[in-house]
Amino acid sequence: MAAPLALSNFLSFLSPPSSISPPPHVSFFPSTSSSPSSLVAAPRRFPGGELSSAASPSTVCFNSSYNVQIVVEENEPEERLLNRFRREVMRAGVIQECRRRRYFENKQDEKKRRVRDAAKRNRKRASIFEIFEPEHRATRVREQEKRR
Amino acid sequence: MGSRRNGRISSRKNARKVPKGVIHIQASFNNTIVTITDVRGRVISWSSAGTCGFRGTRRGTPFAAQTAAGNAIRTVVDQGMQRAEVMIKGPGLGRDAALRAIRRSGILLSFVRDVTPMPHNGCRPPKKRRV
Repeated sequence: MAAPLALSNFLSFLSPPSSISPPPHVSFFPSTSSSPSSLVAAPRRFPGGELSSAASPSTVCFNSSYNVQIVVEENEPEERLLNRFRREVMRAGVIQECRRRRYFENKQDEKKRRVRDAAKRNRKRASIFEIFEPEHRATRVREQEKRR
Repeated sequence: MGSRRNGRISSRKNARKVPKGVIHIQASFNNTIVTITDVRGRVISWSSAGTCGFRGTRRGTPFAAQTAAGNAIRTVVDQGMQRAEVMIKGPGLGRDAALRAIRRSGILLSFVRDVTPMPHNGCRPPKKRRV
């Protein structure tokens, strides 16, 4: 009689504690500026859930999650609105992501793509760094000359 | 008799004035569909590049998206819509062109949102094309 009880106690000690809190829900709170042309670009934002303060003053009743949101101000020229939208979409990477998910890519293709993206990022970072650090550029050029 | 009554009521409801609405633009690679709904999501009118007379590869062009958006908005502006939100879905050349046409038509825009559905690594997409 006591043995099964002791066994169950032993097993409950082994099992993971039940007081683990669920992982915090990743919600990006947009940083709204005080100017009227507030730019809210929050990836995978779910209004109506954690954001109880109703940061978006929209009158849309149904909840929708969006990738990019642009608040249009009064009398904004058409080109400026389009440019702003395009820039935000590029920053969010929507079109790239769509193109990637259009067809299945196997592990080989995925690895190739990741390497290409990393190389591009590193090259961009290196070129920006060299603008600010001319000595770095000088050393790089010197090493290239030495190799030749 | 009851269904006849319902038919009559719904045709009367279509003439209602909707001052604020939502414009959904679905821009795929081959076509652009523009749907105008009210804030609750009930469709008021729609138009697409295909219904505007373009067929085949011309449906996916930005000009076709522009005409589709223009068509859709014309029917709705007569009904008295002044403000609208824009929800853009999908990659495609029609995104910017339709937005431009909406802006030019004189409707006040409150938001422009991108609601392209992004899976969190869900269904497996179709296999690669070997063309």
